[in-house]
Amino acid sequence: MQRAAEDAARRSGDERLAKAIRGGGTLISGLLPIGYEEESSIGQAISLQVVARYGGVSDQSDLTRYVNLVGRAVAGSCDRPEIPYRFAVLNHDSINAFAAPAGYIFVTRGLLKQIQNEAELAAVLGHEIAHVSQKHILQVIQRSKQLAGITEAGLAYTNQNPEAFKGLIDGAVKKLLDEGLDQEKEIEADQLGDVFAARVGYDPTAYVGLLNRLKALKGDDRAFFKTHPNFSTRIAAVQRVMQTEGLKPNGVLLGDRFARLGKQL
Amino acid sequence: MRRGKRQRMSIMVLVIALGLLSGVALAETVFVQAKTAKLRAGKTSLDRVVADLKYGEVLEVLKKEGDWFEVSTAAGVRGWIFANKTMATKPSSGDEALAKLGKSFRRREASDVTASAGARGLDKASETYADKAGISQKDRDAVDGMTAYKIADQEVEDFLKEGGLGEYAR
Repeated sequence: MQRAAEDAARRSGDERLAKAIRGGGTLISGLLPIGYEEESSIGQAISLQVVARYGGVSDQSDLTRYVNLVGRAVAGSCDRPEIPYRFAVLNHDSINAFAAPAGYIFVTRGLLKQIQNEAELAAVLGHEIAHVSQKHILQVIQRSKQLAGITEAGLAYTNQNPEAFKGLIDGAVKKLLDEGLDQEKEIEADQLGDVFAARVGYDPTAYVGLLNRLKALKGDDRAFFKTHPNFSTRIAAVQRVMQTEGLKPNGVLLGDRFARLGKQL
Repeated sequence: MRRGKRQRMSIMVLVIALGLLSGVALAETVFVQAKTAKLRAGKTSLDRVVADLKYGEVLEVLKKEGDWFEVSTAAGVRGWIFANKTMATKPSSGDEALAKLGKSFRRREASDVTASAGARGLDKASETYADKAGISQKDRDAVDGMTAYKIADQEVEDFLKEGGLGEYAR
């Protein structure tokens, strides 16, 4: 294994990496980044759990298409635009949105009901796109792999050891749906998501408006949104990034288009 | 006298060197930071498209005006690009290269059981996961449908245009 990695590194012209592999032994294979094909398997498996636990996905084709168009508009200008992004509406009344690796993104009916214009939806989807572009969930998996002493999590491994793959996925699902990602990852997703939406031309202040309404609706206690930092912290972080990135409040809101296409609930 | 001449020569060399350096510094390059981007003959979204640019393509900036940059591609095509579709730093590729490398030797370990991720459908690993986790057929079909869901780049472009987004800002 170690030899194969060393040879592969040498053939790719990276002598330094080849030496690192020789020094690092087999452990290095577990530390290598997860490639897109594996990311896709992980994304699909996590998505299966999201769909199963949140009432399945909407079969309203016009609504699905609209959410996909807004999402694709934002994803086209994100920091990782080269992978496919797909969006679905979950038949669930809770106020939530999720991202699984490889570009699988979900928003609940409950959250769509709270949204008032396309710029707000763009920022919500931007937040989830940022989790994918920054590989936040993959980092959780990479870490748990190391903790479990697993040195391989490639497709070959997952097919040979479905039990271990299930363990990794179930751990990631628990983190994503029950415990929440690290607070700084959520803040980063809020900030980047608003930047991505603003890059396409949406008004960056729209997201602050939505977060303020949710705060009024649900309060500022983390007990409700236990998977995210409280609203005041999130609002302050978004306002901070608007200032540092020079995002101007002169983008579009597209309230009419959202009322026509996003409210088909 | 000779010493004075040498000094003048040194100053001249220094001036030329500085000139060259500043010339280098003036040539600003940016990279396409969008899945697709259009290079246009003028600085509005109504101008004729002169080239379709790809993610990560390097461009030399010739002029900046408002939200638009006049650029030249590596192939020497000149035109205007909406500034928000560019970035000063090159999109990272090292990570993916490492990832590919990781996969190449993981595959070697058990190439006969490697799943192939097709354009449509759940792959072998997630299908096996669905079996083990007791996921219903309806939920499998939902993720399957999501994986296969396609919207053409042109439809996204039309959507941006209709909303006055991106380079179609009114």
